[in-house]
Amino acid sequence: MPNYYLISLLLIVLAIAAFAMAFERRKPQARDLVIVAVLVAIAVASRAAFFMVPQVKPMIAIIIIAGVSLGAQSGFLVGALAGFLSNFIFGQGPWTPWQMFALGIIGFLAGILFRRSPLKTKRLPVCIFGGFSTLVLYGLIVDTSSAMMFTPRLSKEVLLTTYLAGLPFNAIHAVSTMIFLLILAKPMIEKLSRVKKKYGLVES
Amino acid sequence: MALFAIENLTFTYPGSITPALVGINLDVNDGEFLVLCGQSGCGKSTLLRHLKGALTPHGARNGSISFKNVPLDEVSFRAQTSAIGYVLQNPENQIVTDKVWHELAFGLESLGYENAIIRLRVAEMASFFGIQDWYHKSVYELSGGQKQLLNLASVMTLQPDVLILDEPTSQLDPIAAADFLATIHKINNEIGTTIILSEHRLEEVLPGASRVIVMNQGQIACEGSPAHIGHELKRTDDPMLYAMPTPMRTYLALEDNVESVCPVTVRDGRDYLQKYQPAVSVESAIPVQPATSMKAGIPQTTTSTGEPISTLKHGICDASDCHDVYAEHESLNRGDIHDGYDCSDSRDIYAEHDRSDSRDIYAEHDRFGGNDSRDISEHAERGSSDDMHNGHDRRQSHDSPIVTLKNIWFRYEKNASDILRGLHLTVYRGEMYCIVGGNGTGKTTALGVLSGLYRPYRGKAQMLGVDITKSKIASLPQGSIAVLPQDPQTLFTRNTIKEDLMDMTKSKERIDDIAELTEITDLLEMHPYDVSGGEQQRAALAKVLLTEPKLLLMDEPTKGMDSFFKRKLAEILRNLRANGMTVILVSHDLEFCAMYADRCALFFDGSIVTENVPREFFSGNSFYTTAANRMSRHIFEDAITVEDVIEKCQTII
Amino acid sequence: MRDTFSSCNPIVNFIYFTCVLVITMCVKHPVILGISFASAMIYSIYLNGMKAIKFNIFFLLPLMLIAAIINPAFNHEGMTILTYIRDNPITYESIYYGIAAAVMIGSVILWFSCYNAIMTSDKFIYLFGKMIPALSLVISMALRFIPRYKIQIKRITNAQRGIGRDISAGNLIGRIKSGVSILSIMITWALENGVDTADAMRARGYGLKGRTSYSNFRFDVRDWTLTVVLMVLFIMVVIAIRAHFISIVYFPAFVMNDFDGIVFILYAAYAALCLLPLLLDIREDIVWRSLRLKI
Repeated sequence: MPNYYLISLLLIVLAIAAFAMAFERRKPQARDLVIVAVLVAIAVASRAAFFMVPQVKPMIAIIIIAGVSLGAQSGFLVGALAGFLSNFIFGQGPWTPWQMFALGIIGFLAGILFRRSPLKTKRLPVCIFGGFSTLVLYGLIVDTSSAMMFTPRLSKEVLLTTYLAGLPFNAIHAVSTMIFLLILAKPMIEKLSRVKKKYGLVES
Repeated sequence: MALFAIENLTFTYPGSITPALVGINLDVNDGEFLVLCGQSGCGKSTLLRHLKGALTPHGARNGSISFKNVPLDEVSFRAQTSAIGYVLQNPENQIVTDKVWHELAFGLESLGYENAIIRLRVAEMASFFGIQDWYHKSVYELSGGQKQLLNLASVMTLQPDVLILDEPTSQLDPIAAADFLATIHKINNEIGTTIILSEHRLEEVLPGASRVIVMNQGQIACEGSPAHIGHELKRTDDPMLYAMPTPMRTYLALEDNVESVCPVTVRDGRDYLQKYQPAVSVESAIPVQPATSMKAGIPQTTTSTGEPISTLKHGICDASDCHDVYAEHESLNRGDIHDGYDCSDSRDIYAEHDRSDSRDIYAEHDRFGGNDSRDISEHAERGSSDDMHNGHDRRQSHDSPIVTLKNIWFRYEKNASDILRGLHLTVYRGEMYCIVGGNGTGKTTALGVLSGLYRPYRGKAQMLGVDITKSKIASLPQGSIAVLPQDPQTLFTRNTIKEDLMDMTKSKERIDDIAELTEITDLLEMHPYDVSGGEQQRAALAKVLLTEPKLLLMDEPTKGMDSFFKRKLAEILRNLRANGMTVILVSHDLEFCAMYADRCALFFDGSIVTENVPREFFSGNSFYTTAANRMSRHIFEDAITVEDVIEKCQTII
Repeated sequence: MRDTFSSCNPIVNFIYFTCVLVITMCVKHPVILGISFASAMIYSIYLNGMKAIKFNIFFLLPLMLIAAIINPAFNHEGMTILTYIRDNPITYESIYYGIAAAVMIGSVILWFSCYNAIMTSDKFIYLFGKMIPALSLVISMALRFIPRYKIQIKRITNAQRGIGRDISAGNLIGRIKSGVSILSIMITWALENGVDTADAMRARGYGLKGRTSYSNFRFDVRDWTLTVVLMVLFIMVVIAIRAHFISIVYFPAFVMNDFDGIVFILYAAYAALCLLPLLLDIREDIVWRSLRLKI
């Protein structure tokens, strides 16, 4: 019986490492670092703005926006680091690599899909992507990891049950991400492009 | 040896028509302590940024800058990194990492030093700056002053030849600022590092400076030693004269010898004023001193009706002028109501005296104030005629307390210690009430209670006639209380200032009116972050004022403002109060409070220790008082502003 | 609680956690898991005190229960059938397996709670600073920004209240809307002020070739000794497992290795590995007590 958990963990760590090395190789400038760090910190701290509605987390929305305006690579890093750092606050656990990977991939795909696309300025496609990625990418990846943790002998039934059990939470998460993107995406993309000019970050 | 040689430097920002720097010629010598001053937006920061390649702004440039006889562009990034240290204005923004030790090591890491060398250099700096106690701390645990000290230390680890500081203390409270500036002096004296510093707090900086450069509209207006720069400013009628230290301004108003050495410190100022000493007897013969009225047996500073004596305030070039006229008007009406040891008599004389005197004073100010003071006297006149009109209404409103706090106790959490301890506070309509006091005494918390942000657990609080300890603050009419936060950036949401204002009201007229009042009409189309700090403050004020508050609460409104903006702010506030608005402000700026407040209060240990009209308030304190008072208290009992001192000295002559 | 182990070099800390986590996650052997669970439990209580006990009762216990139930409910392998639920066999083996899975997940989470107490962010940055210098700087910067942004969010909230925008009132949609506007102000503020941070980095030479990574940590004799001890113990356990001194099969039938002297030593080796930090603390206590006696 193969140890799914360890194998997938290894793959995920490799994927994250690959992105990390690619970023390092680029020899990023001070401004690149600042903008990524700022976005990561916003994604993590954003929860504090909704202390009165605790079930709402704007993190994924911000990661998607980061991917859309900074591109796939930065999108991945903002996502993965946001996952990593929020766990520094709430506690690292066996779930950390999976969360990092899921959030990273969302940022990455947002960059691939929208960075150069004319859809970037349209709200609806970004919203739909946000809902879909929260529900399917984030939900499935994280739920699969917990299924693997709970029962190392995976079966279809276990996975299905886990997904079903997680569905309501993932659905709420997806809807809130969509709402955030609906309100936040446009102004925030504008802000980012203004700041990119101010920082002198050229569109590569 | 010239460290920097700037020749004919002219610079224009992209998209701008007028150049930010025009024909700058400047040599900076090794070991010098150079102070750069000038109004906000005069090009100080732009010039300083040109002295470090990594920070030089983009734009069209002419002229040359050389560093140690090599053109600056040819000095490598590596050499510049270690030789030219730069500390920016905002202490928070420049800290990069999360730990103190890492921040100290940051520059040395960039230069590629080995662990052992970094450890030594960091240890040296930490010891020199006294940082060892918080060496292992996280940055967010530090106070603002500690943060700026950390920025300084982390630049000093690179052992620079020259240290450039761009308004480093503008975000600090006076004690932290004095500490910081003392450290700068120490670096200059003990290590010999050349210092180039731009500052607004000239009182503390000038005494140790070797040269002062005054800039105006992108040009160097004049330069000289601290002891002589004043004569030059006076000769050219430069408005920067107003920003100079109190002893200098006093001296310059009274003396004309351009060769003489101008006093810079309070101690020098005291020595200079000695020559007015014999005249004390003459001085006490003047009948209108409030101090005299005290001697005459008036123990209280508020009248029996609780009306503040603010109306008694001396005629200096500020808002109080309209009050003076009003005081006369009022006392005539009310003379019969008061009895016993009423001060209405003295007040009559006082007001009379002021009125006749005020022209002279203005004339005096015109001598070096130029148009500015003429403007003010015009305003004052306009204000007084307004007052004549609705003097009756004003009197009524003056009598009604708008805020009454009785025995307020507050703490943030059940198990925390009390922040407010039995606070009593009464503020009357149309007043400008200033709360001063050290850090952590609870001033800002008191403002929070006043704004309804915090609810006291004991005591009574009446705001605008509503008991807010019982009912919610929300039961007050919408927008009747507004707060101008310390950080104006917490208010801006939109891409232009205009859009931000439109969030508050739909009426274009009102926006235009407010914009005119706060003098931001030209900035309406700009992004709120593209305007200067002082302009941001005014835009924030405009936004707050659109709520049409009856009571305006302000937290440190003059922080980081130069003397010009301060006077502008005072003027804006006076116009608003003429329309019945009340202002309560919390400030560290004693000079501002002395000039413009109706009453001042000293906050300590969670409550108000003493409150009084500025004259009584500041002349009653020995340490916590204005420089003018400290300088002149051995001669005059109650001179609290430069204008007071000048006036009294002139009376003696 | 003062912990000696956390004052060791982060490399030692990291090796320790990697060893215990790998063994805990790979080996479903009841005794090994039992040792893991007990040591992790003791160490987490030692490090975190009452907080750990509360966490264990309210979070860990339910989680372990779920794990213990899920396995027999979905996994019908094994030959010793206890009963049938809706035609599905519930076997002893899958119950044992479920318990093992529950103990494993419990141990992993407990190990992580120790990890969180010991592996602070600066240790992480020290470990990876040389490998991923730019990213570890990003992490350090983000850790600097996060508390700052939280404070700023509070300031903005208060400032908005000060102009009559109360955000704690209103229905869900209203609250979300005002939350978004606060967030929006914060984002602008953060991005715009970041320009200064980048300037400050450039002013201190960021971008020069050959940047080093400074740390306060030293690798001293004690760290060497601990590393060697850790590696020896770890290799012993790994060999024991590879050579089937320690073995376990759950399905189709539950078969465990026999117990004898060698096996006991191997168990003891694993226990020593797990309890190493606590042993260090005990040693320290004894040293201090004897020092005090000498005075």
